[in-house]
Amino acid sequence: MRRASLTAAVVLVSALALLPVLVLVGYALLAPGSSTLQLGAEGVEQVVNTVGLVIGVGMIGALVGTANGWLTACCLFPGRRWLRLAQVLPLAAPAFVLAAVLVDLGSRWGFRFHGIGWAVLLLSLTTYTYVFLLSTESFSMSGHRQLEACRSLGVGPWGSFRRVALPLALPSIGAGVALSGMEVVNELGAVELLGVPTLSRGILQRWQGEGDLQGAVGLALIALVMVSLLVGAERWLRQRSRRWNMGHDGTSSLQWHLSGWRSCAAQLLTLVPPLISLAIPLTWLVMSRDHLQSDSPEELVALTLRSLGLALAAALVTVVAAVVLAIARRWIPQPFLRQLTFTAGMGYAIPGTVLALALMLIGGPLGLSPLLLLLWGYSDRFLAVSKGGLDAALERIPPSVDEAATGLGCSWTQVLRRVHLPLLKGPLLVGALLVFVDTVKELPLTFSLRPFDFDTLAVRVYQYAGDERVSSALVPALLIVALGLVAAVALMPSLERLGSGQDRG
Amino acid sequence: MKRISSATVRLAAAGLTVVSIATAVGAGLAQQAPNRKPVEIGVYSGRHYNTDKELYRQFTARTGIKVNVLEAKDDAIIERLKSEGRNSPADVLVLVDAARLDTATDQGLFQPSRSAALQRDVPANLRDSQGRWYGLTRRVRAVVVNPKLVNPATIRTYADLAKPALKGKLCLRDRKSPYNQSLVASQMILRGDATARNWVRGMVANVKQPFFTSDTPLARAVARGECAVGVVNSYYVARMLSGEGGAEDKRLAEQLRVVYVNPSHVNISGAGVTRHAKNPQAALRLIEFLASPTGGRGYAEANNEYPLKGVGDNPILKRFGTFRADGVSVEQIGARSRAATRMMETNGWK
Repeated sequence: MRRASLTAAVVLVSALALLPVLVLVGYALLAPGSSTLQLGAEGVEQVVNTVGLVIGVGMIGALVGTANGWLTACCLFPGRRWLRLAQVLPLAAPAFVLAAVLVDLGSRWGFRFHGIGWAVLLLSLTTYTYVFLLSTESFSMSGHRQLEACRSLGVGPWGSFRRVALPLALPSIGAGVALSGMEVVNELGAVELLGVPTLSRGILQRWQGEGDLQGAVGLALIALVMVSLLVGAERWLRQRSRRWNMGHDGTSSLQWHLSGWRSCAAQLLTLVPPLISLAIPLTWLVMSRDHLQSDSPEELVALTLRSLGLALAAALVTVVAAVVLAIARRWIPQPFLRQLTFTAGMGYAIPGTVLALALMLIGGPLGLSPLLLLLWGYSDRFLAVSKGGLDAALERIPPSVDEAATGLGCSWTQVLRRVHLPLLKGPLLVGALLVFVDTVKELPLTFSLRPFDFDTLAVRVYQYAGDERVSSALVPALLIVALGLVAAVALMPSLERLGSGQDRG
Repeated sequence: MKRISSATVRLAAAGLTVVSIATAVGAGLAQQAPNRKPVEIGVYSGRHYNTDKELYRQFTARTGIKVNVLEAKDDAIIERLKSEGRNSPADVLVLVDAARLDTATDQGLFQPSRSAALQRDVPANLRDSQGRWYGLTRRVRAVVVNPKLVNPATIRTYADLAKPALKGKLCLRDRKSPYNQSLVASQMILRGDATARNWVRGMVANVKQPFFTSDTPLARAVARGECAVGVVNSYYVARMLSGEGGAEDKRLAEQLRVVYVNPSHVNISGAGVTRHAKNPQAALRLIEFLASPTGGRGYAEANNEYPLKGVGDNPILKRFGTFRADGVSVEQIGARSRAATRMMETNGWK
């Protein structure tokens, strides 16, 4: 088992990930009647709004995500465990549902939820969890020795956070911000409901409203450039803050006890975002008790099972693909292949609707099974989600470890099994959790590619909400949130154990 | 050392098990005699009302033809059908809005079909001249007025919405609404491009910004007096009046006056046999059933829409009174809607 097999695996994964994009570009070039990309006043507005959203959401998300990541990983205060789990709730609540509920509630009270300000707040709420999950994993795994040194030198929690833990976690925070940026570039339903013209809306308008596929692909390429800049900036940050550490070294977990106002502040900060994301639908429920409508219980069970099955399968396929790419970057010194693994992780940047079109173009003529196409689409889109944390975590493992192992005659597969995977358990879990939650609420792909009579929770929610029937959308929407929470409850305790050194692989 | 691989295997097994269970549940595992394969047709539909499925079941009970359904957004369905080409499992394509029917026709997704029943049940301006698609239900673009702020009698035509007297009092949905696009297209056909352009400019000047992103909040805003006049499909108001949206919505809708201007713009949902249908005969039977007075009533009532002829017997729609349709053919509206959208864009309709 030499590295040839690894190279082959990388080429295969990358080819599968990039094929839809290539097909799309080819299709656009070959389509009859070429057009030059004219942005026009509206196009400029769409670009400006998208940039504004990405920056605004990135900043708020970085602040809230990092603060909550640190507080729940390294500080002790009453309710910390529960609050740590609750951080997944906002991610599990689909942004378009929250937007639909807000617009509906507002219109009853005579308040208009409209415009970019609300969009920034709403999308920050639903995406800061990326930063939280990646940073909290980093905080709980990293630099205990350094932190102990801080403590013995009398540096307080704030000082140790700022001077030691934060620089170590920067790569993870950057990866989280990049992910939230991609999510924002992709967001469609919420920005439509809040009346914010963005690139993803422009793409759809050009393609389906005006039948101008080249124009749509042109806009999609602008979106792609934006995301490349995001990811590039994040990598640059990472390279500047390159530090290695081996996680904990058998010491018991090290945490600061917060008391008094500090503890209250920590509770408040970690409680507010999940509370808001639950409060929005619950307020609606309370106000609309008289006309809540629901599908039959059997129907709800069927919807939930389909969502669950798709999400489990997607999480598995995606995590395996991400491991292949991340490990290859470490072992294969060829610049071309490294570039390939980087590009393969860009699927998240392609708007879901566009990716769906590309997959239809591939799957239609070949007669591929819709479920297979769906899984392909999910793994393509969410590869970045599971890979981001992995790359960041791999960078924390000093190369000397690999060298020692290979010096002792281990092949890369043995190193992977005996050294890397145990050390990567945290980010693998986080990646799987993120992909799971993202798949459960994913829309454009599921909507366009699913087989006959195969609705999922998200599809049903979207149909009802798009039809302005919030009263019927709410129960499946809450089930989506519940699935996310169940996944968090299943996976987060392992993170806790990893952090406290009880579960060393 | 805990081995990741075993966890992975467990996760894989769980995933695959759930997928297979889900597929089984999803398919419903109809118990069928193994040797007689019943006729099946596939329906791709841009409508999604639970009562539609009930109608398909009725159709199956009558004819023995099994119906598989895929409901999604119209545009997504069009793309999917296009990419599947001859492999497509769809026999019937149901779409909402004139422009989308036109798009699908342009892309060659329908095949022409002829049927005496459809000639009889579907008025000529609500079907394609070559029989590629047939209207199934009608929806009217109505003007809603808050009688405390504006006298409903002053609004007789869509043109009245551009009068300076309504400055700052008019609420409209954004350009994305296919119903607004089709409304503008029908006005272009009826009154010529220049007049329609001036009318759009006049309305945009009257609009109380920002444009709404959905109809129900717009109707509520008119009822609460935040604007005096709005334009929505009448079924949104009917839905509020039916109590489906709760007591508060019902109370709000009671404050509204639904004005059907003379003549009113009518849009449709419609269906046709797909080009590569495996079972065109069975597909046509389903369309005939949905267009017949019995099936059509169920299809229309699902969403408080109007049947192909008359006002049906929906008590709420009866309250709105009768309307005179402008008679513009849906086929023409579809052909003009792209030009209409561009015109809206250049004249400030957000």
